[in-house]
This record gives sequence, structure tokens and C-alpha cells, in this order.
Amino acid sequence: MKEKLISLSEAVRRIPSGSRIAIGGSIERRQPVAIVREIIRQSIGNLSFYAFSTGLSVDMLAAAGLLARSESVYVGLFWHGLAPSFRRAVEAGRVTVGDFSESAMGARILAACSGLTFMPVKALLGTDMAKQDPSLVKEITCPFTGELYVAVRALQTDFTIMHGYRADRFGNVQWPLARDPDDFDQSVARGSKRLIVTVEEIVDHAEIMRQSNLTYIPAQWVEAVIEAPFGAHPLAVDAYYDEDVDAIRAYAEAGKTPEGAKAYLDEYVRGAPTHEDYLARFGGLEALRRRLSVVGRVA
Amino acid sequence: MSAQYTTNELLVAVVAREIANGDLVFIGVGTTDRAFTLACGVGVVATRLAQSAHAPDAEIYWGNLISPDLDHMPQTWLQDTFTRWPAASQLTETAQKNDMLAFGRFDVSFESAAQVDRYGNLNITRLNHPDGSIKTRLIGCLAQTEHLAFVRKPIIMVDLKRRTFVEEVDYVTSLGHQRHGVPRQRYGLPGPGPQLCITDKAIFDFQGEGGAMRIRSLHPGVGLDEVLALIGFTPEVPVTLSETTPPTAAEVELIRTKIDPNRTLLRV
Repeated sequence: MKEKLISLSEAVRRIPSGSRIAIGGSIERRQPVAIVREIIRQSIGNLSFYAFSTGLSVDMLAAAGLLARSESVYVGLFWHGLAPSFRRAVEAGRVTVGDFSESAMGARILAACSGLTFMPVKALLGTDMAKQDPSLVKEITCPFTGELYVAVRALQTDFTIMHGYRADRFGNVQWPLARDPDDFDQSVARGSKRLIVTVEEIVDHAEIMRQSNLTYIPAQWVEAVIEAPFGAHPLAVDAYYDEDVDAIRAYAEAGKTPEGAKAYLDEYVRGAPTHEDYLARFGGLEALRRRLSVVGRVA
Repeated sequence: MSAQYTTNELLVAVVAREIANGDLVFIGVGTTDRAFTLACGVGVVATRLAQSAHAPDAEIYWGNLISPDLDHMPQTWLQDTFTRWPAASQLTETAQKNDMLAFGRFDVSFESAAQVDRYGNLNITRLNHPDGSIKTRLIGCLAQTEHLAFVRKPIIMVDLKRRTFVEEVDYVTSLGHQRHGVPRQRYGLPGPGPQLCITDKAIFDFQGEGGAMRIRSLHPGVGLDEVLALIGFTPEVPVTLSETTPPTAAEVELIRTKIDPNRTLLRV
């Protein structure tokens, strides 16, 4: 098997400006925030992002002025309100948005997995999502029954970035037995062209071989794998650590003004040249584990 | 004898009566503050109340869990609490929930919204300036669109406010009974669309002309003028107005001592 373990900065250097990027995770967990911070450090701009439900990642890119477009079912900070920088950028016309409901976005992801150009859905019928852009959504009829449908375009991306739990050096990524599966990560990975995955930990290949049923992303789908513990911070990784409520609150608070958002990025992203430097802002890896880890906790 | 109760407890009692035995009730991820109480908290407490009375076999879906243990409700809503909450089953990917929605497996759902109009169209996506340009970007769409397309009894849960109850929504995130004169029937959606709109002042159904909103009952102590003043259009008003049946003392007792003693669900 081919070794695919590389550094965060090396992986992100492969992404050109103007790329279309699918992103994994959910509102509160497993967004590839470490990769997003590195994209901001390298100032890769004019990006289009495609997600199921997301928030912090897209908001940080909007704050950095690197986001051109976003398509998803949700962008927000959940308990902590709307995504402040994203909202400002959209309202000012700096970022365009494609809106899709959950079954519609899911269908676009699954169409890409199967090599299809579109998928029919019913949920968008009669809504304003069906009218947004005829190059993405179009009313059609079933060739067999004549029923109305909305055709949604398959997701078309250049790169896919996501954060997983553990992997070997070849990029076989595994989930734990007990986890929170409310996301589309496996399908987003399955439909990816160039997949970059950060994981909480790199483990021995032999460890992966013992439980192949836990491998949700086989190495064959992966271009690069990177070890980035707390790579979703300040969000959670289920079965690894809880969300850092104080840090998310501080982010939301800073984002209330453009100046605050910029100061946040200057301090926590541009002012922290590596992922380790970022973690050091929170006392380092061991301090974060002591405060937020859920490993070994019992119900 | 009338019980002392809060508005949230009244809403719980109203919703509980709408849940039939065997129903599968969809609880969304919710969002902050009041919207969490209305869209998540009330539905969960109401289902538990219905289980203890007429609907022992009603179950909830919440955060990819089906039938989580409502007798051991999480006391915080951090990620790990949800990861470890005992439940009968856990769907292995969000796609399965989408399929369950489209397949028609959900009986009841709850909807919060920034805007609701006369025909039950809902907007959680964006508010516009009068010329149609964007004024406020909201959260997106989530699965609310699917609720109104596929669920058997979607219930809108919002506080009665003029800025929420508008003649016409700025953006149709989720389809009600008609839009710009085009009836819902044109689209052949499997679900019946919004069935009730439950607010802090009154309950509405959509039995008016062409699926228009109609007052079903006013909550105790609330007058018709007060309600009409809080709506940006004129709903249909039946000849005789009924009063919303309040919770019994036993129901209030159950909510306060057993179902939600620490008010983690009925928050604000």
C-alpha cells in the first residue's frame, strides 16, 4: 500500500485558488477546522464550499475573505447563533449561496458517489429552492408515471476535506464503535476526487487490520492523510472530546464586528503558524485533553 | 378546577393531545433559546406526557437516535451526552433519516420559523428588502422542507408576533397550502402540509378557504383583538370561538416532577 501520511501544510499547498471543495463534519462536530486554518494561513482564495450542515469552517473562510460561494443545508453556530462573518459576507454580496434542503443536498452527494449527473427529489417542489438556479435545479417529470420532480445537479468538486477519528499511514480511516453518525462523511468521501483527511491519531496498520469493519474510508479513496489531534477544535469529535464551549463563544463574540473577526484570525490562525502553535494557545494538547477528552468516560 | 400552569406547560398539553398512539415523532436538532424550547423541548415533553396517558407506544426520533431513553433525559446537551444516550437504535448515516422522511415514516414534526404566512409557507432561509434583495441571511433550510413535504402532521410552533406572521413569506423554505395562487395539489407531494400552528396566544389550523389559516382556539384569558393585532394578515375567524383546553393539575405535576424537573427542555 502506498504511504499517504504527509504534513498539514504540504497537503493544503496542493489546493489552488478557485477550487471547489466539499467539506465533511456536522454543525458541532468533526469539521476539518485545522485544514481550514491552514487554508487561511496560506491565503488560498476564491473558494467554493459544499457541505451538508456546517458553520464554523465556512464562517472562518468568510471572515478571511477567501470564500466566494457556499452550498449547504445549514450554516450557523448552533447554540451560539448565526454564523456572523458568513452572514455579513452574504448580505454584502461578497459570497453567493446555494440553498438546499437535506434530502436535496443528500441526493447531490449520492449522485456524485454513483457517477451520475443529477438525482430527482420531491421535497423542493413548490419551494424557492426550486427556482434559484436552472444550472443546479430544474423541475422534471418522471418518464414512467408523469409525476413532478425536481432534478438536482450532482455535487461537482475538485477537492474534499474532512476530519476523521483514526487512520493508518496508508489512509485507511476508521470510526469507533460508539459514535455520533448524524452526518454524510462516508458518502462525501465516496464521491470525492481528491480527498484530504486529517485524523485524531495515526495508528499501526496492524491495528486497522484487526477490525476492518470499522474502516469507513478505504485508502483507495484517499490522497493524503494527516495527523492532527484536536483537528476539529473548538468543535467536538464524538468519542474523543467535547466541544470547547468557551472557545466557540469567544469566536462568536469576536465575529460580531469585522474588526473582531480579523483580530481573532490574527491571533489564533495567522499568528499561530502551525497546528501545534494553535493548540498552544489553549495550553497545548495535554491541557486540552485534560479539559475536554471523553475517552474512557462511561455512560 | 383549573391548575396553575405556565404557557409552555399549556403548549405541552396541547401538543400531547395531538400525538396518537404509535406515532413516530420527529424532533429536530433545534437551535438557540426560545426556538429550542418551541421546536424541541415542547415536543419531547409532550411525547413523554402522551406516552404516560393515551399513547404508550408513541416514540421519538432525535439526533439520529430512535427511541432514546426519555426516562433518563440528558442534563446537558454537549456532544458526548448525545453520543452516549441509550436508545433503541441509531441510524448509521443522515441519509437514512432523509429516506425515512421521504418514505413517509414520520407522523408528527415541529417547525419553528422566522416567517409564517396565511397558507402556512415557512421561511428559515433569508429575509428580504422590499425590492427582493437580501436583508438578513438566516440558517438555510435543514430538513424543514421535508417535514412539510412528507410528514403526516407537521405542527408549526412559533410565538405570535407581527413580524413573524406575514401576508407572504420572503422566501419559501417549506411549502404550505398555496403560493401565488398555485395550490399545493399541483405538486403531488405525498404529505398533507402544515396541519396546525400553535402559538403562545392561540391555536390555528389551515381549514380556511384554499388552506388559509383559521383560528381554532384562543388560550384562556386571551382576547380575539389581542390575537389579530399580532398578525400581519387577517386569519379566518370561526363564528364561535373556543378556548384552548388547559393542562390538568396532574399533567402539570408530571411535567414538573418527572419529565422535565430541571427545565432542560422547557427552558425559556
